[in-house]
Amino acid sequence: MSLIKGGHNFSIVSTSTRWISSHYMKADLIVNFDKRSYDNHIDHLSEGGLMVYNSDIKGNMGGIGISLTSEAKRFPNPNLMLGVGAIAILGATIGVNKTELNALIKNEYSKGVKENISYANIIYDIVYPIIGGKFQLEGGSKKRPNISGNQAIALGAIAGGLDCYYAYPMTPATSILHYLAAIADDFGLAVIHPENEIAVINMAIGSTFTGARSMVGSSGGGFSLMAEGISLAGIIESPVLIVLSMRPGPATGVPTYTEQGDLNFALNVGHGEFLRIVASPGTIEEAFFLTAQMLDLVWKFQTPGILLTEKHLSESSMTVDINLNDTIWAEPLLYKDGEYKRYLDTKDGISPLLFPPSKEILKWNSYEHDEFGFTTEDPQWIKRMHDKRNKKFKSLKNYLMKKKTINIFGDKGPIIITYGSTVMSVLEALKYGNIEARVVQPIFLSPLPIWELEKFKDQEVIVIEQSAIGQFANLLKENMNIQLKKVIKQYDGRPFDPIKLSKKIKDVV
Amino acid sequence: MWYKIVKLGTNIENTWCLGCGNFGILNAFKKAIVELEEKGISQNNILIASGIGCSAKIFDYLNLSGIYSLHGRDLATIEGIKFANPNLKTITFSGDGNAMGEGLTHLLFAAKRNADVTIIMHNNGVYALTTGQYTPITERGWKGPSTPKGSVEEPFNAISLVLEAGATFVARSYTAKIQHLTDMMVQAIEHKGFSFLEVLQPCVSYNNTYKLYNEIVEELDDIPKSIEEAKLYAKNKDKLFIGIFYRTEKPTFCELLYGDHNPVEKRQYREERINKIKKILNIK
Repeated sequence: MSLIKGGHNFSIVSTSTRWISSHYMKADLIVNFDKRSYDNHIDHLSEGGLMVYNSDIKGNMGGIGISLTSEAKRFPNPNLMLGVGAIAILGATIGVNKTELNALIKNEYSKGVKENISYANIIYDIVYPIIGGKFQLEGGSKKRPNISGNQAIALGAIAGGLDCYYAYPMTPATSILHYLAAIADDFGLAVIHPENEIAVINMAIGSTFTGARSMVGSSGGGFSLMAEGISLAGIIESPVLIVLSMRPGPATGVPTYTEQGDLNFALNVGHGEFLRIVASPGTIEEAFFLTAQMLDLVWKFQTPGILLTEKHLSESSMTVDINLNDTIWAEPLLYKDGEYKRYLDTKDGISPLLFPPSKEILKWNSYEHDEFGFTTEDPQWIKRMHDKRNKKFKSLKNYLMKKKTINIFGDKGPIIITYGSTVMSVLEALKYGNIEARVVQPIFLSPLPIWELEKFKDQEVIVIEQSAIGQFANLLKENMNIQLKKVIKQYDGRPFDPIKLSKKIKDVV
Repeated sequence: MWYKIVKLGTNIENTWCLGCGNFGILNAFKKAIVELEEKGISQNNILIASGIGCSAKIFDYLNLSGIYSLHGRDLATIEGIKFANPNLKTITFSGDGNAMGEGLTHLLFAAKRNADVTIIMHNNGVYALTTGQYTPITERGWKGPSTPKGSVEEPFNAISLVLEAGATFVARSYTAKIQHLTDMMVQAIEHKGFSFLEVLQPCVSYNNTYKLYNEIVEELDDIPKSIEEAKLYAKNKDKLFIGIFYRTEKPTFCELLYGDHNPVEKRQYREERINKIKKILNIK
């Protein structure tokens, strides 16, 4: 549920010395502060796992009791201290020493650093003799940043040239707005939270007119409100990038959980016929690079693009390896000389851009228009401009055929096709279950890279997605001959659990 | 002067009805642009937007750059242009249906945030291009195709609403008073901050108010002393006052948000950004 201070809340941390791509619901260590948490999560304890409970709370609980509350009472806001206690307990069990623990608190906490360190040390000293080093992890030699999917999207956009970001708060896209607003001044960005998502998309489109690389972000509801504006971007050929972070719908649905139910909507959003570029990152690293690449693509092809992701990627944090030099910088085709025509009908459908102030007349028109951008109802111009814009379907496809549009993990075994953050769940399930399979992930969904997927035509495939009606499987069926052996679906708001998913995959293969 | 005015026009066929009030707006606006140019504001820096409706057709008749936007969204569009490049002079043309119906939220918020844009609201009291329905500011009892028994809603008062929302320049003019209208346009565009200009615009086909307006339109002697007084003048129905209702100086949205920064003209390039991201992520 959407919670602030009421109700039951929890965080899951999975850590390993190898790359893990999904969290596990079975936990080696559970720390809880009250009886409700204990009852909710007791079934999630793995065999040989440790349950640490708050011994100051009454009730029948088993495991290792620590007086978390009474120790916290030495400090001004005892209820706010418990969280750092859990961090101290986790640190002690995986072998983090106190110096490292204190440095971590100092880095992460904006307020009350001294109190938090004191309290964490008290708890650490209590638990260490009991469970210290119980799940000792070897320290690595390389430092890696830990960022969320939404941070990766925000930073990737900046690296790709972002100038303006507009958004109205909506979970799970809100933290892109927060993060960008916080660093806007450092990068000279306009980060603006206007009256609604309709203003958001139309302002962003206005900004693109000036040459500003502009992005917006929302979830399904806000994205619905943007539909008319996305259609506007289609006809005026505005390069605007939209981040759609999916949560279970319809309508308000389940705001703080995950789903892949808006795939069809993203592919078809907006009335009228125009090119919509849609791509979905499989990992947090990929989210970083793909956002920059999408910014470049919308500018190169002057059409709206949608970075499709899910709450599961947006709001999960992971350690990442990012080589910033690989980032793409968004660059459009610019006007050089001669008579300026905004909608010059070229071979590939892409008209050179020019920005104000200019002595040339730059007219972007939501009515059907001629090459100069003046309104027209002439049948020849109507047809010609449709054809002009639609040439970009082919030009984009030709362009992408030379780029990476698909990831393939593994080279033997049954074929699994999946997309978005479900890729991470599938990879982890395969590792957990020791299953050999080829995982195929189209990064682009519009255009769907059929030229790559064709290798798998007429073969039996398993599709895995988080949709009740199997939208992704249907998309594949519509576009190519594949034999669907099984579609593994989950649509209860939760991401796939690798243990359960590995069992389902084994049942099929 | 005349040469410059002709150059501001286009060769697109004008499809307004003969005698439409919009001709007055088009002519006054061209004169205003020429006057502004003489005051040092280059036409290259003037950007226009328009919504959808008879008013919006002006977009095709002006040889100026901009975006022909969606119905009701033109203010958001022009704000987007301004926020990205605050050096541009930004003006949008909107009908009363466009601005006060579909676009009302954007109008109130643009005033609230004192966005440095100008909206010229062509007030003809009807949705003319869709054949004469009542708009949010049409008097109660209007018999149109969507309200055959007469509209039952009380109208908004546009000036009163934008004043309440925080507009820093509010004026009204009349299409038959070209010099007054030109002067109001120049002042609205020169104003730093959100400027709202309501233009009384007779619609010869669905709401011909020439005779009435010629009788009751009267110029304000002075700018009213307070917002309250301005509202009283704005709501007066025996006489329709034209002139400046309110004017004040306040910091604009962009100034408050990023000072004299210009996101487009002062954009940071790749290397600078990458180095800063490296620092944030603590990587080499």
